[in-house]
Amino acid sequence: MDFVLSQLAGFGGAFAALVVDPLTYLYLVTSVFLGIMFGALPGLTATLAVTILTGFFGNKIPLDYSLIALLGAYVGAIYGGSYPSILLNIPGTAASAATAMDGHPLAKAGRGGEALGLTTTASFIGTLIGTFALLIFVWVLLLISKNIASPEKALLALFGILLSGTLMSEDLVIKGWIAGLIGLAMAMVGLDPLLSEPRYTFGWSYMMSGFQVVPVLMGAFAVPQVIDGLRHAEVGKLTQFTDRIVPSLASIRRYLPTITRSGVIGTGVGALPGVGEDVAGWVSYGVGKTVSKDGGKFGKGSIEGLLSAETANNACIGGALIPLLVLGIPGSPPAAALMGAFMINNVIPGPTIDPAIILRVVAILVMASLTMFLMGLFTARVFIRILRIPQTVFLPVVLVLTTIGSFSVGGGINDLYLMLGVGFVAYFMNMLAFPIAPLVIGVILGGLFDETFRRSLFLSDGDLTVFASRPGAAILLALNAALILSQIPAVQRAFGRLRGRAA
Amino acid sequence: MRARDFWASLVLMALSVFFLWRTSDIPLFSSTQGGVKGVEWFNSAAIVPLGIFFLMLVLSGVLMLISIRDGGARHALSAVGLGWSPAEALRFGTLAVIFFFYIVALVPRVDFIISSGLLITALIYGYHAGRPARMKLAMLIVATAGAASLLLHFPQSEWQAHDDDWIALLLWVGLTGWMLLTGRDDRVMRITPLIAVGAPLILVCAMAFGFRQNVPNRGGLIFSQIEYHYYVTLRPLWRE
Repeated sequence: MDFVLSQLAGFGGAFAALVVDPLTYLYLVTSVFLGIMFGALPGLTATLAVTILTGFFGNKIPLDYSLIALLGAYVGAIYGGSYPSILLNIPGTAASAATAMDGHPLAKAGRGGEALGLTTTASFIGTLIGTFALLIFVWVLLLISKNIASPEKALLALFGILLSGTLMSEDLVIKGWIAGLIGLAMAMVGLDPLLSEPRYTFGWSYMMSGFQVVPVLMGAFAVPQVIDGLRHAEVGKLTQFTDRIVPSLASIRRYLPTITRSGVIGTGVGALPGVGEDVAGWVSYGVGKTVSKDGGKFGKGSIEGLLSAETANNACIGGALIPLLVLGIPGSPPAAALMGAFMINNVIPGPTIDPAIILRVVAILVMASLTMFLMGLFTARVFIRILRIPQTVFLPVVLVLTTIGSFSVGGGINDLYLMLGVGFVAYFMNMLAFPIAPLVIGVILGGLFDETFRRSLFLSDGDLTVFASRPGAAILLALNAALILSQIPAVQRAFGRLRGRAA
Repeated sequence: MRARDFWASLVLMALSVFFLWRTSDIPLFSSTQGGVKGVEWFNSAAIVPLGIFFLMLVLSGVLMLISIRDGGARHALSAVGLGWSPAEALRFGTLAVIFFFYIVALVPRVDFIISSGLLITALIYGYHAGRPARMKLAMLIVATAGAASLLLHFPQSEWQAHDDDWIALLLWVGLTGWMLLTGRDDRVMRITPLIAVGAPLILVCAMAFGFRQNVPNRGGLIFSQIEYHYYVTLRPLWRE
């Protein structure tokens, strides 16, 4: 209990420091507004919002303020995706795909205001649940992670890439793994971290420092989005509503158990390395459908269904930051973009991170969710107007934004060539149903994997049992092996037969 | 999808083999690496890339087997199998040309406001209505501006010259005029010039004077004037 109280006291100090700084509000309101706008516009995503703002705020203002801008945009964008889901039946972000299942039928039934109001409240409470989990668990895990050495770090990085490849792949799992390997291969370019041996530089001095994270992020997430979105599309017909947006206390109380359950599920899914808000939304929706008394009404305009998905995707934010801050492994694609911002500020997330940064992140998340809540309830009609903007109008501006953002982070034209090259590769990968998130996570974790894997072997004189001789490493090795084996058809069939016999 | 997987696996296998061959340039067994003598296989800079590309080769082989088993190889050369659509190919092809000339030719050599204004106008004009003729015209305009700047000022030492800025500006004004003439009934076309001028202008000024960051082509035709008047005319007003 003392531990929780000391954590809350630390959080109180960080929160007070934020509240008394007038600049906080400037960055918060701007970034949350931009985030909701990005989320609300179909064709733009939360990852893109954080990536583009990393180009703008990443290393140009003090880290404290850039964290406000990036976390504000992250929280706003995940929530903003609910607007087109409910009013247009088009998910604004992948994270809000499950929201459309019940949100749009509710809007068609004339309950669009109620759906938006409850969604806003649930997103707010969901973010707070995730943030509370971040405040408590990050410290417990930080204490444990002090004992993590190179073998565990290498296996954790591998697990993050494998898990992301497994869960983010919409077609064959093998494609997710290949995407992760391509990311890892990209991270090998440049001078190697132990011996400074040049690898795959092809005599080009720019390649000696390896691929920069921000142009890779911009290329992987922005360019395919722009190419894909620049096509003629009628702006969907907005479902009109006349009921009030601000929800009553009674209805909030009624749905509080659903919101709490979904918040816990979202946080848990978010804490898995490399798994994003969309997975959290669907898992929570599936659980809600199974356990709810109104499960049969899910998909036909159920408030519980709507809240199951929407609470979880916002709660996922806090969860996704746990592995990022504790282990340096991003919990979701937007968290990968956030890691890029940390890296260009020379902050290395992981066991050695300054605890003050964690407290500040928690305080910012609380402030950002409060800002999102107030904006969502009282300025919703502004965002509804934004839905009328066709994507062929805003996507060219997004391309200009990514160009200047990518250029200014590295300050070189070569970064733009890299962005374009990665962008075309990512577009073709999208076309071939290879997921992009494992590639980006591979690029980000590749350096860590290479360094820790070789350091482990170096310290053990090439003895491979170093990856199984420590309890933590043995558990992680078993997890990696289980993850791979679980996807092999022969193993799946054998387990099926065993289950059949047991039944 | 499996026909596409067949081709994807072939490309991936070729890439894996190429990079495995390139990895052979990095010493693996006892040798001198990065100035360090007697490096063993386990801390060689080649060990992790070898593993990555070997695994990629194996997984691409598995992907190829899956695609052959599911009929991907049989449909590998058919248009249906590849999901080939001439309209989509035209859309992607014109966009690829526009992006290439914007990033490789225009951004380094032409004023950022002019090159981005031209890009925004071309993309909205070319792709808002989804008409192939407009896509081709948009591509032609950007490609002409880009090719002119590449031909006139290819070396980096000549990137500050302004004649290619004028060519791009004229093409931009011409495209805007044509767009307003042919699409005056469309509200999007009417507001496009405002977006094309406003967005890059605000962005480049915010980046240069707000965040004090480097911006592409500082000596460009318009931005050099803005920068001059910012420091010489405007800034003294509040500095004094």
